[in-house]
Amino acid sequence: MADKSKIGKVFPEMHWEVERGKIRELVKAIGDDNPVYLDADEAKKQGYKDVPAPPTFLTVPVMWSGSMLDAITDLDINFAMVLHGEEEYEYYAEIYPGDCLSGSPKVANIEEKTSKSGRKMDIVTIEIAYTNQRDERVARQKMVIVERK
Amino acid sequence: MGLYFEDVEVGYEMTELSKGPIQKVQHVMYAGASGDFNPLHTDDEFARAVGMEGVICHGMLIMGFVGQAVTSWVPKKDLRRFGVRFAGMTTPGSTITVTGKVVDKRKDGDENRISCEVEARDEKGDVKITGRFEAVLPSKNQ
Repeated sequence: MADKSKIGKVFPEMHWEVERGKIRELVKAIGDDNPVYLDADEAKKQGYKDVPAPPTFLTVPVMWSGSMLDAITDLDINFAMVLHGEEEYEYYAEIYPGDCLSGSPKVANIEEKTSKSGRKMDIVTIEIAYTNQRDERVARQKMVIVERK
Repeated sequence: MGLYFEDVEVGYEMTELSKGPIQKVQHVMYAGASGDFNPLHTDDEFARAVGMEGVICHGMLIMGFVGQAVTSWVPKKDLRRFGVRFAGMTTPGSTITVTGKVVDKRKDGDENRISCEVEARDEKGDVKITGRFEAVLPSKNQ
């Protein structure tokens, strides 16, 4: 049962150092062979300081830091029954290898819905605003997860 | 190289991208890369126990395909917003095609902004992702 009193709750800040190898692993897993994510010289030619993080990179810190799982556990959500509903990013600055990202997951909304087939679901929206080691805001992430009952 | 604001009009289509067929080993690679180790994506027995026919792909892998299509077309540094809704589950063996088109084009202060809709479908035409992105494009006159 969704605990709506947790709307607005802010979880402890996570810190995550962006590694070049993690960017490479993610684009390799996706099968994205765009050299801008793999080759620093090519990236510089295209106007970047180094290889930039690809558009969906922010899934890495939130999952690998354990921050998302901690939030899911705290909200009494069964991870095995979780489906991803929505994912959204706003980008303010590039993320590069060596950057240290900080952000605190916040529960933006919790609601209960019933699917067309009559199945009950809890819909939880988590938002994270990220800054880097220079305290510059780099991105916002919004995740909507659905717990099947 | 790159795309200019003057090059695109509303209705202009993004270069299509086809990905797959998706192999189960790609789920394992994606789990390791992303840190999402939900066994729903890698363990058939577990997936059946929670009511699926077998493992399903990470939604974020499919969004990754869309991200690949988008930043093959518009440079990453020009991308300002990117959001998707996961419309259906994807199973291994699927081939995903990403399409998109410009739905709005406007001057926003000094910025030349475009909004585009994107979609990912499997080989049967079932929609897996609908989404939207915004980018700020350089102008030939600047």
